[in-house]
Amino acid sequence: MASGRNWNWFHRMGSPRWFYETTGRWLPWLWVLTLGLMLIGLVWGLAFAPQDAKQGNSFRIIYLHVPASFLALAGYYLMAIAGAIGLIWKMKLSYMVMKSAAPIGAALTFIALFTGAVWGKPTWGTYWVWDARITSMLILLFLYLGVLALQYAFHSQETGNKASAILALVGTVNIPIIYKSVDWWYTLHQPATIKFTSAPSMHPDMFQPLLVMIVAMYSFYALALILHTRTEILRRERKAGWVRELAQRAQPAEVRQ
Amino acid sequence: MKPQFDTLQQLWHMAGHGPYVWTAVLVSLAVLGWLLIRPVQQQRANLQAIVRQAQREELQQAASTQQAEGGK
Repeated sequence: MASGRNWNWFHRMGSPRWFYETTGRWLPWLWVLTLGLMLIGLVWGLAFAPQDAKQGNSFRIIYLHVPASFLALAGYYLMAIAGAIGLIWKMKLSYMVMKSAAPIGAALTFIALFTGAVWGKPTWGTYWVWDARITSMLILLFLYLGVLALQYAFHSQETGNKASAILALVGTVNIPIIYKSVDWWYTLHQPATIKFTSAPSMHPDMFQPLLVMIVAMYSFYALALILHTRTEILRRERKAGWVRELAQRAQPAEVRQ
Repeated sequence: MKPQFDTLQQLWHMAGHGPYVWTAVLVSLAVLGWLLIRPVQQQRANLQAIVRQAQREELQQAASTQQAEGGK
């Protein structure tokens, strides 16, 4: 049967060594892309985009708030899918990706909540309201922290991985609730700025820098996830021969004395 | 596309919204920066620890073979 050959790529992708070597080649490009886009998007959004007719300059917070929220949600799906692949195919690398996605997602959710609170003060007159969108985002933060905590709650790495993956999968229920919360309930939070089904409700001069920041944040996410996963690979595979050779090559003289 | 502020002071002040906008920007950038710097530092520490461990094992092995030869 040909299926043996067809699944080769899948097994190769599951090899931590393959991941480490392949992503090592991508890293310089991702650094340049992330830092470059971030700089362009921020300068454009903060200094060149026109101010909002109703909200004035406070609306510029959108250039961090929306991209961070996007990736906080997309990152949760990625983490849950990585957990599911780990559970189904017992792929070590997949669990490492899941574990790496948790602190990144938690930090991005924190940024979404923090920038939202700071934006809320001049716009709504309050830093915080217990409305549907904001409360469901807070639950997302706790889910991320829960997945992270479960990693350290068990003596056996295997048990921790399974527990984290199950929590991540159960928590996916929350994601559509967050998306739909502004439509389902009466809320202070404004409806989505960008929808896949219709044209953006923003002026192009404001929208273009936002698009740059969203692409920048995707690139940032890829970079951060790869860096965290590589660290995790070295930590878990430190006894493997290829890791030792790699460490010797990376550390020529300074430690050898 | 033209600059919205004539001076850096105006950019900082943002007609009264400066404190909100810049707090959001600086805190976000600090968190994003931390997400990139932390794994890079850990990676460096991990690589050093792996090299040290390998050296320790080499030394131990050398010592035990010496002992075995000395005992003959």
